[in-house]
Amino acid sequence: MSTLMAAAPGAPVVELDLAELRDDPYPAYAELRRTAPLAWVPSVGRHLLTRYEDIVRAEKLPEVFSSREEGSLLLRTVGPNLLREDDPEHRRLRAAAEPPTRPRQVRDLWAGTFERNAHDLLDRIAGRGEGDLIGDFAEPLAAANLAVVLGLRNASADDISDWSRAMMAANGNYADDPDIWLRAEQATRAIEDAVAEMAEAARREPDGSVISSMVHAADPVELTEIQNNIKVIIGGGVNEPRDVFGVGAQALLRRPDVRDRVVADAGLWKRVFEETARWISPIGIYPRQLTQDYEIAGVALPAGSRVALVIASGNRDESVFERADEFDIDRPHRPHLAFGGGPHFCMGAWVARHEVSALAWPLVFSRLKGLRLVEGADDRMEGWVFRGLTSLNVTWQA
Amino acid sequence: MPIVIFELPDGTQRKVTADSGTVLMQAAVSNGVDGIVAECGGNASCATCHVYVDERHGELVGPPNDVEDEMLDFTAAERRPTSRLSCQVQVSDALDGLVVHIPEEQV
Repeated sequence: MSTLMAAAPGAPVVELDLAELRDDPYPAYAELRRTAPLAWVPSVGRHLLTRYEDIVRAEKLPEVFSSREEGSLLLRTVGPNLLREDDPEHRRLRAAAEPPTRPRQVRDLWAGTFERNAHDLLDRIAGRGEGDLIGDFAEPLAAANLAVVLGLRNASADDISDWSRAMMAANGNYADDPDIWLRAEQATRAIEDAVAEMAEAARREPDGSVISSMVHAADPVELTEIQNNIKVIIGGGVNEPRDVFGVGAQALLRRPDVRDRVVADAGLWKRVFEETARWISPIGIYPRQLTQDYEIAGVALPAGSRVALVIASGNRDESVFERADEFDIDRPHRPHLAFGGGPHFCMGAWVARHEVSALAWPLVFSRLKGLRLVEGADDRMEGWVFRGLTSLNVTWQA
Repeated sequence: MPIVIFELPDGTQRKVTADSGTVLMQAAVSNGVDGIVAECGGNASCATCHVYVDERHGELVGPPNDVEDEMLDFTAAERRPTSRLSCQVQVSDALDGLVVHIPEEQV
């Protein structure tokens, strides 16, 4: 299969500015859905597929829309890994890594530590009366929880955060900035060392973590494979729970009526979680490459074509979600695409659901009394490959 | 090829032909049966293809496997003794006439 780095014949070409996408991709996506649901975007080097139904169709055809993308930024950043493999290779790695992320394991093995981690962070800031819920809480919480699930007892939450940020920047480095590549290389070398040490420890004494699960997998997994896949998980495992937490918390603080209902009825946190993930997909886009000629959204794509499934756009498709740009926990239920679909359905979904909707939000809203947004704070939503709040400045009664 | 019947929460029924050797979820999805989401495409990791096997047919279908049993504790709609993930139910000629009920919610 050769990689086609150009527009398919017949595909509309649409120029999109990367800085504008980073600022707010949704107006551009709405226009694409309306006028060019499969469009070649030169600055991205891919065809963007933007309508819900087309994305779902592509996700359900992994034999056509392959995850093995040549020239992938993720492959360059972390090396071969399960996200850029198809079954059966993907299945082998996923089966080795997945057991510690299943919901019962999350509840029985990790929930207690997650709760302690959240309380520890809140203890640290509660007396202050003000803070940034991203930098002071959501990011260190996601990183500390991730270290536990992965089995990286030799890494601090700050290490995990720094590594994640460096790799995520490289992953979205469509502008090919050399400093971003350098920082990512330093991070991935540090992860390799940390994983090698803990894999050796888990070989002697299994601890239920992802590293331990991969070390003891029935279908053997090499150390390099463990290292590369832990890198991928560190990449997504911090920013996704952090961003869902931040975006959802901000949405509730802007809508006291909704916040009051949710605080009074804990069963609603699940809805806040799913609606937040739909409204602002922390991962907005992922790449696929065609293994054969295939027609989608009215365009005949030749084998080798590069396509990006824009799940952030699918999640705002008005034909599926009425008033799709609004945050509304009462909307009629339709499945969102934020966790992806098919064999690559997000492995961390159950971990994120528990740590954010069962623990982080309820604890923050119950412990920080009188929580409110700081008026005039420069809390920006940023990103299109990955999207979330840069900060969330709040005050409360100390 | 066996015919299986998906009963929707409002009581309407969809009769579909299922291919032996596939799984029940595929029969639902390829025939556009509403209410079977199947986000993970059949890998028992999302719990969104939950069905209640009709009580008359419980023995025909059998119990869930270990991974499925775990996921069934976390379905959006309540778990019942006859709950299965349709992606883990192998279709065979023995299932001809099977009735399964689709719950109100999947996510």
